[in-house]
Amino acid sequence: MKKFFAKNGPGYFFLIPWFIGFFCLALGPILYSLYLSFTKYNIFKPPKWIGLENYEFMFLYDDRFWKSLEVTFSYVFMSVPGKLIFALAVAMLLNKGMRAIGFYRALFYLPSILGGSIAVAILWKQLFEYNGVINTLLAKIGIEGPYWLNDPNYSLYTLVMLGMWQFGSPMLIFIAGLRAIPRELYEAAEIDAASKWKQFYAITLPLLAPVIFFNLVLQMIDAFKTFSSAFIISGGAGAPLDSLNFITVYLYNEAFAFYRMGYASSLAWILMLIIAIFTGVAFFSSRYWVHYENERD
Amino acid sequence: MTKIDRRKFMKAAAATTGAVAAVSTMGTQAFAADSTIRHFWWGNPSRDKRTFGVIEVFNKKHADIEVIGETLSFPDYFAKLTTQVAGGNMPDVIQQGYGVLFEYVDNGALKPLDEFVGKSLDISNIDKSALAAGTVNGKLYAVSIGANSHMALYNTRLYDEAGITFDPFGWTYDDVKTIGVEISKTAGDGVYGTDDNTANYQNFSDFVGQKGVVMFNPDTGDYQVTPELVEEYWSMWTAIREAGATPPGKASAGLIKPPMAEWGVVTGQTATSYAWSNQLVGAQGLVQDKLGTAMYPNTPAMTPGSIVQPSQFICLTRDTVDGVAATTYMSAFVNDTDMTAILGLERGIPANPDVRAALAPNLSEAEAASVAFFSGIQGKTATLPPPPPSGSNEIEQTFERIATGILLGQDSIPEAAANFIRQAGFIRRRAG
Repeated sequence: MKKFFAKNGPGYFFLIPWFIGFFCLALGPILYSLYLSFTKYNIFKPPKWIGLENYEFMFLYDDRFWKSLEVTFSYVFMSVPGKLIFALAVAMLLNKGMRAIGFYRALFYLPSILGGSIAVAILWKQLFEYNGVINTLLAKIGIEGPYWLNDPNYSLYTLVMLGMWQFGSPMLIFIAGLRAIPRELYEAAEIDAASKWKQFYAITLPLLAPVIFFNLVLQMIDAFKTFSSAFIISGGAGAPLDSLNFITVYLYNEAFAFYRMGYASSLAWILMLIIAIFTGVAFFSSRYWVHYENERD
Repeated sequence: MTKIDRRKFMKAAAATTGAVAAVSTMGTQAFAADSTIRHFWWGNPSRDKRTFGVIEVFNKKHADIEVIGETLSFPDYFAKLTTQVAGGNMPDVIQQGYGVLFEYVDNGALKPLDEFVGKSLDISNIDKSALAAGTVNGKLYAVSIGANSHMALYNTRLYDEAGITFDPFGWTYDDVKTIGVEISKTAGDGVYGTDDNTANYQNFSDFVGQKGVVMFNPDTGDYQVTPELVEEYWSMWTAIREAGATPPGKASAGLIKPPMAEWGVVTGQTATSYAWSNQLVGAQGLVQDKLGTAMYPNTPAMTPGSIVQPSQFICLTRDTVDGVAATTYMSAFVNDTDMTAILGLERGIPANPDVRAALAPNLSEAEAASVAFFSGIQGKTATLPPPPPSGSNEIEQTFERIATGILLGQDSIPEAAANFIRQAGFIRRRAG
């Protein structure tokens, strides 16, 4: 016990503000929503206990739920790897030590600050309109652009691009990770005439693995929870044809447009479980591909 | 999970800041009031300005009551109201629409007004039909603050240039097609005759009435529309589109229930859009050319399908702190000509003849046009059905979603129609 605190005490100390917020503000509503997920609750009348009915309906009868899972998973599986690769590529470029590096770093970080905002979602929507900037540019090189946002075959990709564009925070973390890799390793590799590519996958990738893992988990959780941009770009309803009906958008509508708080809560808990499972899988798999420098055992 | 919580919190925070800002612009109250009444409505910048003006007049006249206004846009309004219902802290006076009134009454969120009538609430001058619309199960729950009807808006310049003459109170879907094709030809590149109403539920509900069908069974609440009717409606608009009267289906697929700024007649992409009569004043403000008014199109049989309905009500909520003070304010809102002069026709045609008479000399051109429209539709509208049962809102969204598949050319019309009716029935059963 004593040893545990000696080792982890400072960590927990710095977590105190978070614990206070969690236990005083978040925990109550979270548990209440777990209760609500087993009820029928239309807000006006007190919740009525219906057992597993919400979950049963969700899994057996609700086609829109399955479609929303498909949309959410497609988004996560496309945007997270894309974003991480992009972030790593830019981080490696910026790590080369060029002039005005701080300026570029700030510049590339900017979309991450702006990206979550409503204004950028609206801007994005306008960029991808049929007569918008993107299609005008495509027309200049002789390509007739599609109806990006109206056509369910393309709509999700516009959101994936918006997600990838916000690569700033993983990029910063990657830069820090790259800085921590000792230069001597590369020098030694140079002397042994290892190619750049070989240096990348034999030195950079393995030593960066903990940072990649950290970014992966963070970005994955974030991607599962995507809401504002999808809500704005899909006109609040997941349109067209439910192609942007993320599970978050779906549960928002169930709760606030159709007054099914009980069902919306059960959707929220399923989302929570999915995130927990994927995070768990990531942690479990990390034993096999992530090695920490200061590991003792 | 946490996302929603945070969002809720942000929304509440934003709304509070908005309300505080709004209150602070009204200046501080000179006297401490005995009773504070909160009035919450959905609006737009013009409506908000007018309504805060009304509150200022009321507060000056009644030193013992202080009214505080709160406002949000339509979708946010109901999201916030919903959380207030759950939290038991609804404002005293709220705005309601005909579509959801029943749901709120049914669930006990509103307080009947009968005990205040003749005392703090004067309804002696309000049109009988308007009172009937606000009466549920024999009790008065809502006072109309403006009547409304479906209205087609057209760009008179484009119609004139194409040499179009038509009867705005008796045109058919065939007319829409021929006129639309004509305008698409004359108006130049990228401008079309009419918006595409394939996914427009307002037009669809008119069409259902025009076919002599009552949408919801008044007793059971069953959805009585047949797949054949839906099929006929979608085929009709598909024919109008394929003739070239509307923009391409893929373009219209992105305009499901668009905000006013994206209506075809406002952006200039089309010459005709379909709206509510109380939106004329707002839309005219966004368009250079003069807008003409017409009823929604009909079938050659000319069975009425449009209804005149109260666009908005003011209601007293279950959570009110002082029913007498609140109804005093509500009473003034519909009767006091100093206050109604500020409101004008922005919420629709007032239900009080004295108020209408007082407004008549000072109407703007667009306001005068909407009054003329109302005389034109006399005798050509259907009787007001009972308020729609729970689930109607969701049926509407389902219609829009499935119709998008028609616009995109992805689904066959008969299959989509059958699918829609199946889901509508299912939604009603789940709501019951």
